[in-house]
Amino acid sequence: MTDTILEVRNLHKTFGAVRATNGLNLGVTRGQIHALIGPNGAGKTTAVNQITGDILPDSGLVSFKGENVTRLAAHRRAARGMARSFQITHIFENLTVAENMALSICTHQGHNFKFWQNSLKTKAVREKLPAALARVDLTDRADLPASHLSHGEKRQLEVGMALTGNPDFLILDEPMAGMGPGGTVALTQLIRTLKGKLTILLVEHDMDVVFSLADRITVLVYGQDIATGPPDDIREDPAVRQAYLGEEE
Amino acid sequence: MTHTQQQSIRKKACVALGAMILVLLPWVAALTGQEYYISFFSRVLIYAIAAVSLDLLLGYAGTVSLGHAAYVGVGAYVVGILFFHSAEMEPLFTWPFVFKGCENALVVIPLAVIISALFALVFGALSLRTRGMHFIMITLAFAQMLYYFFVSLEKYGGDDGLSLYNRSALPGLDLGNDTQFYYLCLTLLAAFLFFCTRLVASRFGLVLRGARDNERRLNALGANAYTYKLACFVIAGAGAGLAGSLLANQTEYVSPGLMHWTLSGELMVMVLIGGMGTLFGPVLGAAAFLFMEETLAMITEHWMIYMGPFLLLVVIFAKRGLFGLLTGEGKGHD
Repeated sequence: MTDTILEVRNLHKTFGAVRATNGLNLGVTRGQIHALIGPNGAGKTTAVNQITGDILPDSGLVSFKGENVTRLAAHRRAARGMARSFQITHIFENLTVAENMALSICTHQGHNFKFWQNSLKTKAVREKLPAALARVDLTDRADLPASHLSHGEKRQLEVGMALTGNPDFLILDEPMAGMGPGGTVALTQLIRTLKGKLTILLVEHDMDVVFSLADRITVLVYGQDIATGPPDDIREDPAVRQAYLGEEE
Repeated sequence: MTHTQQQSIRKKACVALGAMILVLLPWVAALTGQEYYISFFSRVLIYAIAAVSLDLLLGYAGTVSLGHAAYVGVGAYVVGILFFHSAEMEPLFTWPFVFKGCENALVVIPLAVIISALFALVFGALSLRTRGMHFIMITLAFAQMLYYFFVSLEKYGGDDGLSLYNRSALPGLDLGNDTQFYYLCLTLLAAFLFFCTRLVASRFGLVLRGARDNERRLNALGANAYTYKLACFVIAGAGAGLAGSLLANQTEYVSPGLMHWTLSGELMVMVLIGGMGTLFGPVLGAAAFLFMEETLAMITEHWMIYMGPFLLLVVIFAKRGLFGLLTGEGKGHD
């Protein structure tokens, strides 16, 4: 019996006349890298937003670690071990790199109604900050405002922040978007080192990345999963080739 | 690195210089026979407390409140009403115990702070459910609501307000003495500023600044931005209440005008001129604003005609206001 960390059943979401999610089913096994792919407009980000709780589905079920979280607020899901990075870089532009990382560390220390001690000097931050910065190669950027980082570095920071809470489930929404080839290689390497330590749901356009990293792949077309399986099966699947790969290659 | 270090040294020098000027001011004023400036600068210090508290909302929580005067007014009325009952020998309430009002500063000032904070808690809890323009409007609406409530409250003077015959009593100090009152205001401002600088650098402050930058990201990290903003709103309300209680004492007069939206607007202008998100800037902003009001009003009753362009220049050319110009932080927009 496989250990399923995330299960999505018969999820529906419409925006006006658009059926963004139309009966989506998805099961992510603990410890695997599960990729979610699909052509533009297939509803990948909408699906992710419902998994994280940023938007609520019209109907269907999202269960995380065996608990029904369909209607749970985003910050509560995060507290249960779900972390995400965004498709469009979501960092705190006016804070320094160190402060960004510290904020992420602090929010995982329970409440933050600590009004007196300097945040960068608290015990948890002093213990974890150096390693957290080193993990994503940003140690020498620590004192720079995040707005001064290059696009690739912002991505690194974002992934690094998602990792500070030691989540057991990480959602990476197009982490490679807008990255140069060098950055893609570095980030692929980083994701590979995480393999086995935590479960990853990877939403990605870059097919090389997906096929080199993923254990399982789900293909989404018009808000519906049309195929799920290991990379080799997906590559051969005629429906997938027609709907997706056929257009791309 | 050296650049930020330089800035931080310059900033410390500016703050130290400002503190020195404020500490020596009554002494110099007395020496040169310009005692009037002692009471003028008491007013500056009091408005500075209110402006600094508003800066917490504008510059750190990223919530634009246009109703901050409400809490100044509540603080002032707490002092005014307690004084009224004490002077008229008429109990404020008789159940569950008889409360005859009070003139003791050690009671009325903390009470003013607490009651303003409670008002901020209720109004903040409701208004922080909205964002942007709606938030501005709802904070304004709450403040105006209180304004009209006190205008129609005949018992406490209604439109005409309430006169205090003397200032609150503080054991060991004579608050009726302008110099002693000045130093009380200065001490409270310094304490409040110190508290705020610690606050914004603390874990709470870090989360708050995160909420200002990117609320959705903060929620994804597992913190609920609403709670932190509300706590900040309450702290800012408490600060404004403190300013209100001092203002009532300084002018020995309380009126609904303290809650009017024009005062909220003036506080916002002080923050902008001084430098939003700098804490020390609003002190400078309060001084600049009141000084201009004072001097320009002697030339023309339409002194706002000069104030407007000045504000525009500061906002366009100095990112961190006058304080940013002094510390070299605000050169251009990046």
